Amino acid sequence: MSNWLQCSRRCFWNRTNYGTRALSSFDKIPRAPPDKILGLTEQFSKDKNAKKVNLTVGVYKDNQGLVTTFPTVAKAQKILDQDENMNSDLSYLPIIGSPAYRKSTLNFLFRDSCPESGPKLLEQERVSFVQTLSGTGALVVAADLLAQFVSRTVWIPNLSWPNHTNIFKRHGFNDVRQYSYYENGKLTVDKWIDNLKKNVKKNDGSRHCIILHACCHNPTGVDPTVEQWRKILDAVRELEMIPIIDMAYQGLVSGNPAKDAYVLRMCLDESRYGNWPHGLFLCQSFAKNMGLYGERVGSLSVVVPPNQPESKGNVESQLKQIVRSMYSSPPAYGCRVATLVLSSDDFKRDWYKDVESMVQRLLNVRQGMYDRLGWEGLINFEQQHGMFFYTGLKPHALNRLRDEYSIYMTMDGRLSLSGVNDHNIDYVCDAFKAILD
Amino acid sequence: MSQAILNNVEKLPADALFDIKQRFSKDPREVKVDLGIGAYRDENGKPWVLPSVRSAEKLVQEDPSYNHEYLGINGLPTLTSNAAKIILGEDSPALAEDRVISVQSLSGTGALHIAAKFISKFLPNRTLYLSNPTWANHHAIFQTQGVKTAIYSYWDSKTKSLDLEGYLQSIKNAPNGSIFVLHACAHNPTGLDPNQEQWNQILDAIAAKDHIAIFDSAYQGFASGDLNRDAFAVRLGIQKLSKVCPIFICQSFAKNIGLYGERVGCFHLVLPQQNDASANLVSIKTAVSSQLSKMIRSEVSNSPAYGAKVAAKILSTPHLTEQWHKDMITMSSRINKMRASLRDKLVSLKTPGTWDHIVGQCGMFSYTGLSPDMVERLESQHAVYLVSSGRISIAGLNDGNVDHVAKAIDEVVRNQAASSKF
Ligand SMILES: Cc1ncc(COP(=O)(O)O)c(C=O)c1O
Ligand SMILES: Cc1ncc(COP(=O)(O)O)c(C=O)c1O
Repeated sequence: MSNWLQCSRRCFWNRTNYGTRALSSFDKIPRAPPDKILGLTEQFSKDKNAKKVNLTVGVYKDNQGLVTTFPTVAKAQKILDQDENMNSDLSYLPIIGSPAYRKSTLNFLFRDSCPESGPKLLEQERVSFVQTLSGTGALVVAADLLAQFVSRTVWIPNLSWPNHTNIFKRHGFNDVRQYSYYENGKLTVDKWIDNLKKNVKKNDGSRHCIILHACCHNPTGVDPTVEQWRKILDAVRELEMIPIIDMAYQGLVSGNPAKDAYVLRMCLDESRYGNWPHGLFLCQSFAKNMGLYGERVGSLSVVVPPNQPESKGNVESQLKQIVRSMYSSPPAYGCRVATLVLSSDDFKRDWYKDVESMVQRLLNVRQGMYDRLGWEGLINFEQQHGMFFYTGLKPHALNRLRDEYSIYMTMDGRLSLSGVNDHNIDYVCDAFKAILD
Repeated sequence: MSQAILNNVEKLPADALFDIKQRFSKDPREVKVDLGIGAYRDENGKPWVLPSVRSAEKLVQEDPSYNHEYLGINGLPTLTSNAAKIILGEDSPALAEDRVISVQSLSGTGALHIAAKFISKFLPNRTLYLSNPTWANHHAIFQTQGVKTAIYSYWDSKTKSLDLEGYLQSIKNAPNGSIFVLHACAHNPTGLDPNQEQWNQILDAIAAKDHIAIFDSAYQGFASGDLNRDAFAVRLGIQKLSKVCPIFICQSFAKNIGLYGERVGCFHLVLPQQNDASANLVSIKTAVSSQLSKMIRSEVSNSPAYGAKVAAKILSTPHLTEQWHKDMITMSSRINKMRASLRDKLVSLKTPGTWDHIVGQCGMFSYTGLSPDMVERLESQHAVYLVSSGRISIAGLNDGNVDHVAKAIDEVVRNQAASSKF
């Protein structure tokens, strides 16, 4: 027991008991479970095996195993550096973010990515927007807003990015449910829809949010086909759920960021779905597709229903309030870089080329591993997308990989493809073959 | 049906400062002055990138290992450890005894937000006391997390000085184990700090009641140009409270490094001294630290990297640190010069009232004592913009506009005096 506690115990007898009670609750703070990936990263950095391979984290590495800056991003940084007008003011950004960033990002998301339905939404002033701390920040602000005014129930896929549950539970959601997504190496779309239909009633006054991974599902790397998405979205719309589209890997399917927004495009297809009566939430991140991970650049767009001229402004004023009491205003540097990259067609074209070459390398890794291992899943390009491959390997196999070969993967069997390169692909594949024998 | 579901989202009033900025930029008058801004401006009224920041940026970008990879959840270790030394002092017993947990935050606001979350989870049912008046955002930061707030006496508007007696009384009247938010230096909005003797009395009173202190340190080094001097209250607090309770410190590098928009700050939690041999400091520290990580993970995943790298470079490179110290002197001496200049001009205009408080106050702001009516007239008649509380940002003054401002204040004060005679 800590001394400060005893001290306040003593104080208890001398004075009143207010301090004591609360201080002892501080002493009982349990240790929160450690972040799994970080623990492995630590162990990895201590590993002395020269052949060690880190296949845990979701950061793109090039064929030399390095995290490099995209050439277009580097070019933008250089311009920023040398332009007095752009680098002489480090003042606060407005609470909801830089106006230039807002304009370029809305353009990218609702014109480039959704050319048919998006421009109209912008013209009708139906998109509330806030610059956020990357994708995580977008989810957080969305959760705070929803919990305050709309809903405290959210459906998250089983499996999903572990932070989804953490975020929603800690931001006002008291009912966090799971829908079936993936079992025994396969998507479970029918069960998913069945879960929703059995448990969500559209007329009982409750409202349910649902998290949809826009593409490159984390951790499985397996996305529904377009046909399947249609069935899923039909159900989500039919049940009047509130879609929260988590778009953290836009561009990592095809190499073309605009093209990869297909789930957003489908949702916004008015001829099929009309409008989303409770709004549609888009959480978007430039972490992976611009390689701006640590700079925390992203956004939340809320598409509000039509014919409510007040809604956009009202929602934005609430988003402002949420941000103001959480961190006042978003960080500027990364957003300045992203704004420049999005500022002209030439720049954007170059950026798309960077994304394409990243994706090409990831596809080569898939092909190379398939050639060596014969795992069909690796080259099921219709559904297997992005930087992760779910091996299905069990903990004892993963432990052996780590202990005997210094190959590190997360304990769910997720493999981060960008950790594989020409220099270690044989080593990695031979190790897989050896432990599976 | 519920087409209307978002209709019950109520529209909130726009942020006062942002509004001022907008009205100001639309004002066609030739001579206009913005005294609302919360950021330093140089003698030409321009934003100023500190020379130490320029050099640090260059070093960061030229470093061959520079990239944009995620920082760890608790932030950049070179930043957090050096930041702790800045606020606590190199020879701090708390550091020597390994009682400090430091994590990176989104500037001062983010640090206060972490404190608010932490309190609502682990120290519930306590009232948190804020100075009257205080930074407008304080109430919202804590109330949003369900922390009950109250106010303690601070500013005596009659004498334009500290209401020490009321302050001490508020401390006494608060239930034992309450939480007090203390502005470490350069109190916002008044610019008025307790002197060293008064701090002694305040902190003794807090210790006697088992209260918990949160130091909000947003202006260290910016106020006086001297980091140690501006950390006086925090360090005295650690000395006096370390046997009693944990201490929270919310540290911002917005003003003193001029990294406003990059959102660089730290949250430090100083654990109390453990005399008891059985107390396991290490395990308490690990537990608290793990809870902070989990919390940060659910807020931002990890903190923004660029500003943190720049700040860390300044704090860890001796010649940059030295330059930074000079930069803080540049800023604080210009501010002090403007304070004196405004006071002198008002005195020579024989403007009714006393104006010495402008010089007695420190930091970015001065609480002038001008009424909302006068503030309105300053804007409508003289194109001088400030918030309705009468707070002016001294940073907005320079040799080119201080005359205009003094004459404008003189006019509105006399106008008020004249009209109140009727
Ligand atoms: C599914 C998913 N959503 C959101 C994020 C958020 O990432 P960030 O906050 O870095 O943009 C990630 C990152 O790993 C992710 O995998
Ligand atoms: C008293 C006080 N605390 C905290 C802050 C936080 O500012 P930031 O979040 O920019 O560091 C400010 C800024 O104006 C302040 O005046």
